[in-house]
Amino acid sequence: MASAAGIVIEVAEDGRHLSLDRGFMVVSVRGTEIGRVPLDDIAVLIGTAHGLTYSNNLLLALLERECAVVLCGRNFSPAAILWPVDGHHAQAQRMRAQAEITDAFRNRLWQAIARAKVRNQGAVLEALGQPAGAFAELARRLRSGDPENIEAQAARRYWPLLFGPDFRRDSDEPGINGLLNYGYAVLRGGTARAVAAAGLHPTLGLKHSNRSNPMCLVDDLMEPFRPLVDILVHRLAAAGQREVDRDTKRVLAGILVQDLRTEAGVTPLGTCLFRLASSLAHLLLGERQVLDLPLSPLPLDLVSPHTRKEGAHGAQRVSPDVDDGDV
Amino acid sequence: MVLSAYRLMWMMVMFDLPTVTKPDRKAAAKFRNFLLDEGFEMSQFSVYLRFCAGTSQVEARIGRIRANLPKRGKVQILTFTDRQYQTMVCLEARTKQEPAARYEQFKLF
Repeated sequence: MASAAGIVIEVAEDGRHLSLDRGFMVVSVRGTEIGRVPLDDIAVLIGTAHGLTYSNNLLLALLERECAVVLCGRNFSPAAILWPVDGHHAQAQRMRAQAEITDAFRNRLWQAIARAKVRNQGAVLEALGQPAGAFAELARRLRSGDPENIEAQAARRYWPLLFGPDFRRDSDEPGINGLLNYGYAVLRGGTARAVAAAGLHPTLGLKHSNRSNPMCLVDDLMEPFRPLVDILVHRLAAAGQREVDRDTKRVLAGILVQDLRTEAGVTPLGTCLFRLASSLAHLLLGERQVLDLPLSPLPLDLVSPHTRKEGAHGAQRVSPDVDDGDV
Repeated sequence: MVLSAYRLMWMMVMFDLPTVTKPDRKAAAKFRNFLLDEGFEMSQFSVYLRFCAGTSQVEARIGRIRANLPKRGKVQILTFTDRQYQTMVCLEARTKQEPAARYEQFKLF
């Protein structure tokens, strides 16, 4: 019953206790309930507070629903993601196919993913009126397995064009880097959930193979979506919001319900992640030929959607960008 | 960015279940617990509310309720949009209240 584009919950205050009551996650402080959320609606649960306690029953119920539980450390970079051991009925078969993948196949998959990322970086720059022609060209030149490391070349051009020549991407820095970390943490949670639901193993990556990273495949599959976080952060920074606070978190957590164009029509990013992971599983078993990646966003899709104010009724909606047209 | 494809809906489930005999009371409690497990919150006795992200979710939930109905009794399901929900008038002990739960995509505790 869980939908791909659910609620993102963050517990950031000390002294909170999270527990299970029937179909709800209950948040309480010193025994007093302060809120409850239906379990089926939760997509990602982010724990950032130090003095935070969970009940085991709650964690089990969340894992049953393939909800991603992300434990964040300093600067909102994820320290751990809780992983359901049993994610999909055909999991054993799919993981075996994943382990037996050939280098050539892995390289071709990475080519498709990296191309989509570079293309999306170009789309983001274009939406901001920056010169982006080189990115389409770089994406075209990107060969199987990316032997020339065009992904890194693109990144070297991308960051200065996006945030100015003085910007350094450094996950320990505050400000813009903190905002990026937070947006990526939400995105990583959503991707982890999709990978689990598709019955794939998160550690067996395509390009990422860092020995200490247990989430290589998650980091691979989220690559094409990172530029969408980047443009949200750019917009926040341009509006003078550089702190990771309640307002900016709300905007960044909305990344999973942002609409993207796909071959099959417009769907939220959370759903695109599910479709990408499941298409990869089908590809590994030879049941499919291409990865199900969203189409590159048009500049118009990326133009300042979150700046619009709340509806006339003062209602807080699922995202600030809901079509309010008819009732 | 338009969320029109999965328009925001609320479901209200209202029921009258017999509670005279012990098996009836047991069936009524079971149905009530089923609604709670599905994420419905009590709005009043025998009136339960739940947010749904779109009409397909509404239909799926109606199907599940149908599959878990007690043998006897009456259940009515009403669905309406989030905007209509926001215009609900709530009166409690002669004072006007805001509708209890509001749907937010991001929750911070």
